[in-house]
Amino acid sequence: MAGNGMSECCGPGYASPADAMKAPREKLLYSIAIYTGTGIQKPDYLVTIDADPDSPAYSQVISRLEMPGIGDELHHMGWNACSSCHGDADMERKYLIVPGVRSTNLHIVDCATDPRNPRLHKVIEGSKIKAKTNLSAPHTVHCLGSDIIISMLGDAQGNAPGGYLHLNKDFEIVGRWENSMGDIKFGYDFWYQPRHNVMVSSEWAAPNTFMPGFDLEEVGHLKYGRELHFWDFEKKEPKQTFYLGEDGLIPLEVRFHHDPASSHGFVGAALSANIIHWWKDEGGEWQWEKIVDVENEPHPEWPIPVPGVISVILLSMDDQFLYLCNWLHGDIRQYDISDPHNAKLTGQVWMGGLLGRAPEVNGVKVTGGPQMIQLSLDGKRLYVTTSLFSTWDNQFYPEIRTNGGCMLMVNCDSDKGGMQIDPDFVVDFGKEPNGPSRCHETRYPGGDCTSDIWL
Amino acid sequence: MTTYTITLANRDGASYRVAAHRPLLDSLRDQGVDLPYGCQYGGCITCAAKLTQGSVNQKAQVALNNRQINDGYVILCVARPTGDCTLEIGVDSHDKLYRNPFLDPLKPHELKADIATPLKEPT
Ligand code: FES
Repeated sequence: MAGNGMSECCGPGYASPADAMKAPREKLLYSIAIYTGTGIQKPDYLVTIDADPDSPAYSQVISRLEMPGIGDELHHMGWNACSSCHGDADMERKYLIVPGVRSTNLHIVDCATDPRNPRLHKVIEGSKIKAKTNLSAPHTVHCLGSDIIISMLGDAQGNAPGGYLHLNKDFEIVGRWENSMGDIKFGYDFWYQPRHNVMVSSEWAAPNTFMPGFDLEEVGHLKYGRELHFWDFEKKEPKQTFYLGEDGLIPLEVRFHHDPASSHGFVGAALSANIIHWWKDEGGEWQWEKIVDVENEPHPEWPIPVPGVISVILLSMDDQFLYLCNWLHGDIRQYDISDPHNAKLTGQVWMGGLLGRAPEVNGVKVTGGPQMIQLSLDGKRLYVTTSLFSTWDNQFYPEIRTNGGCMLMVNCDSDKGGMQIDPDFVVDFGKEPNGPSRCHETRYPGGDCTSDIWL
Repeated sequence: MTTYTITLANRDGASYRVAAHRPLLDSLRDQGVDLPYGCQYGGCITCAAKLTQGSVNQKAQVALNNRQINDGYVILCVARPTGDCTLEIGVDSHDKLYRNPFLDPLKPHELKADIATPLKEPT
């Protein structure tokens, strides 16, 4: 199947980021859709969307795979293999690991046997994971070589900092990946850059804090993160911590350059609405700086200005552009980061948000704001979804219960910069057969800009 | 075995006999009531319901702040009845559960129990 990222001689993915950019265009998208927290007593599900403009079903959901039970809250997901095992002909990018944050269940979904109709291969029960590893609340999935590690945000009772679950390639629980959590207070996202023997991890909060919803006062009580951790990747233990303070409240998505030789990376601090850049200096010391600061915006009915709440960032495969979403403001921004110390705003589009700039796009009322994004390997198409997390959606965008989420596509100029919402692509999750659902993270069968890492 | 009667006000007043020692989520689901849930250990709020009469023991819950408790919310996956109760269940009972934290801040005594400033009277 073209689009699986398989070449004839090798394992999954691509030899280099430059090769990945030359891969065939994505024809299918996988995204998750949730009913948890919506009042609809149905399981969350994985949707397959037709993204082939020549197909009669373009921009439509073509299949739905329901999870076995209700209440998982599917959220992020990851492939069993990526370009990190391109050299291993025995490996195949075949399975999506689809965790339930609330239930701790891990769903292993076979996307290769019939890419248009993924099927459930295996479920690792949350109760088993808790019993064996004392971990819960799975978040980011990365494969490393033939193994899989998953950041788990809590212990079995939902207390921070949790740790990292290690699975082998047959999806058996090996145990905990890390040798020590050091003084880390919270977990969330992570990314590794093996040539520098480093992993960087960020901080959300304890599951017992973030799952019920967002209480702003808890930030002041240090219940949310504001630190960034640099790990000795081989020793599997944290080595250095940066206290980001007010500049780095709730640091979420972590992205290294795709270029495996580079030490540059970025994290979006959601509540501070800043982009933090880090790199290794000539003396081999890690440094950090703030390169983007999104101003709070006045709101007609709010006594206080609205923070952007940067819920996600992403780098293009050539490391030239950084994209970010301001979930509360409603804009997606594109920055040229060719010089990573100087981010230059090159594009911006609006959809939904609380500021009322674009309440309707392509005939669909956008409830929520731009939230998760996924960029095509060639850097030209950015797919966007609008729901963040069921309880937080319910606080900031309560109408999402009746309207559901939606997916849009933004055409990006991968040369000079610039963005435009595509007028022909929209998937309205308000019209799902079982009632309005909410869509979150998206992945492509051939790999994408947030999964592949090179050794 | 001690049992109590649980009445579901927003399910046409349907009532169920439940054991005092079991979480309400388990007892009600066993009798066919369709209820939302997620973590099943009292930390994620998905199973919240509104208690309009009666009392429960929900010491094990860590999801609710004091304002939500004062508004009558209970966490069914850990709450055990200590008498006959009337409940409103499901997301249709969540009208006061979610609030925009920027527009409607919590007062110091309304935070979660571990960080709340106590009011004078013990509760
Ligand atoms: S199911 Fe999570 S609090 Fe009850």
